[in-house]
Amino acid sequence: SLLLEILNNSYQLSSVPLQILFYINGFYYIFYFLATLAMIVYKSQVFSYPDNFLAPDLALLFIMAILEALRLYLGSKGNLTEEEAPLGLSLVITVGSVILSVYFLIWQTYVLKADVIINAVLLFTYGLEAVLQVLAIAAFIG
Amino acid sequence: PPETRIAAWERVRNGPAPVTDVAKLCVCDLLVAQCDVNCCCDPDCSAADFSLFTTCSVPIVTGDSRLCSQKAAIYSLDVEANPPERVFKLIDQVNPSVFCIHATNYKQALSFSSPEMPTSENFDQLLKQFGRTAFSAEPDSWNMDSHAPNPSDADETYRYEYGVPIQTVDAFLRLPSPVVSSWCSDANPAGFLVNQATKCTRSVSVEKCGNIQAISMLFYVNSSILAVNITVQSIVVQSLNGMRTSLNSNDVLRNPMILDELCINIVLGVSYHITYTDTGEIIEAAASFVLGAINKEALSIQQSFEISFTQVNTKPVPVSGNPGYVVGLPVRAGFKPQGYPFPIAVLLSARNTNTYGQLTILQSTSNQDCLTAQGGRTPVLFGYNIISGCKLRITTAMKCQPLTQALLDLLKGQSFPEYVASFGNSQAQDSSNERIYNTFQSACQIPVSLEIEVKWTKYGSLVNPQARIVNVTATTTTTTLKQLPLGRERTIPITSSVVFTDISSPAEPGYKAWPTINAKLPFDFFFPFV
Repeated sequence: SLLLEILNNSYQLSSVPLQILFYINGFYYIFYFLATLAMIVYKSQVFSYPDNFLAPDLALLFIMAILEALRLYLGSKGNLTEEEAPLGLSLVITVGSVILSVYFLIWQTYVLKADVIINAVLLFTYGLEAVLQVLAIAAFIG
Repeated sequence: PPETRIAAWERVRNGPAPVTDVAKLCVCDLLVAQCDVNCCCDPDCSAADFSLFTTCSVPIVTGDSRLCSQKAAIYSLDVEANPPERVFKLIDQVNPSVFCIHATNYKQALSFSSPEMPTSENFDQLLKQFGRTAFSAEPDSWNMDSHAPNPSDADETYRYEYGVPIQTVDAFLRLPSPVVSSWCSDANPAGFLVNQATKCTRSVSVEKCGNIQAISMLFYVNSSILAVNITVQSIVVQSLNGMRTSLNSNDVLRNPMILDELCINIVLGVSYHITYTDTGEIIEAAASFVLGAINKEALSIQQSFEISFTQVNTKPVPVSGNPGYVVGLPVRAGFKPQGYPFPIAVLLSARNTNTYGQLTILQSTSNQDCLTAQGGRTPVLFGYNIISGCKLRITTAMKCQPLTQALLDLLKGQSFPEYVASFGNSQAQDSSNERIYNTFQSACQIPVSLEIEVKWTKYGSLVNPQARIVNVTATTTTTTLKQLPLGRERTIPITSSVVFTDISSPAEPGYKAWPTINAKLPFDFFFPFV
């Protein structure tokens, strides 16, 4: 009956929290990208930032943006179509994004307090998403 | 322990480590081992000193304030207490801004790095990086051009200008000369085209015969003018009584040695002959030596040195000035080569001594009789007026024409020149040489005086005027020879003179051109229309 449907919900495998998280992540990442780019510009003006240190930082930021877009697209698609392949790929890309976020947290040329804050939030989001993705994959397979 | 040894070695290699502990940093501690006034962080101050301070000149010592969290040393004076005492606090200062530096992975970001200590391994790289007058903080990959111009002309022959010291392999070609006193100084370099002759005294003794370098031939022949070896042209040996003999073998270097209590083969004179081309290269160098001997009593010898320059393929001809005539040197005169009006052919014998000789004048003799004079002539020296003459005894038997000819020969000499060189160094082919003008002579007048007037002018720049002969006029004055009655004699004085007249016009200073006003309208003055 209708009550049973609402209670059981077993025919929908897509994870709603994961989708919400992807949605929020998209907006947050746009903010993160712009903030990090602005702070790199600020650092290059205020501090001594030679070109051979500036170039890797900028390159990795743009790579991270591309990976993020890919990751969110694949993850969202996999979640909504209840396929584990894109979701698995998205999980792999999440690992790469985590590494890049750790770079911006620890190994950047200048790590400001704001950098620490936004990267910590990003890492927390990634962690949460990773867990939810694993659960979703398990649900799709099983 | 090996670790501290390595650390000590590192410290020596890189210099002392920078002090970064804020508790130990004190910028007002200027006097060593003494208390600086009002410097609360000075470790040399005692509590008694602190009680005398009025304020703390350095209240806080921190690192870079942009760091999020850093140590700070705060110094203050507690004036409430009796006596006043210094308060020292070490706190963690926190930067509240969200853009404070949390960490940095760039070593030079916040502090000056110690410069690299030069060692034999990194010296070349450091020199390349910092050896220029300006260098950037960017690493080596930004190194642009500015390679020092290669000294590639080490193999080229050197071109000299007048007066430039002649270079040898190690230094300069030396011509020992007296400097302040008459003792020889070996530091006088020989200048190119500067003919010099010097005499100086050198102290010698028989005991130090082989030790004094400057009396051995090797000293003067050893240094080779770049790419040209000095060859020994001739050796003349002078004995103790002054007699000179020329040696046949020139290739053996004779070194001073002791023989029978005499020191022989010591250099008494050197004469260098340098041959150069017209482009200023030295192609040959030869030295002629005069060797002598000294005995035990001799304490010093006099050495004479000479250097002369000859252009290649020419014979040396003494010039009377370069280019203007020098007062006291003979006036050069001669003939234009016969049959060759064009100067091109004369280049073959550019400095032929037969073509150019000197202007000469009759020389007065002691017996003053013209007809018995041997025809001795003296060269006319530039700037020196000369008058000379003799007395002619005329008897009845003398005929007009042979007498005229004899007197002309006497006055003018055997080959009176046609041309006089206008500059002291003029060549035969120069077209600017002045022709000697002779005044008209009519028949059967005997010449009684010859006056040569040389007009000269100052030529060239105001600061270094050169004498140049403009005009030479030879005037022969004649008188009619009246027939004498039999048995009577007459004596006529015959004179010849040379007078130098300066006809220089006053110097005109040369001014620069008037400055021109270069007024042009701006490019877009008529903007909307053009």
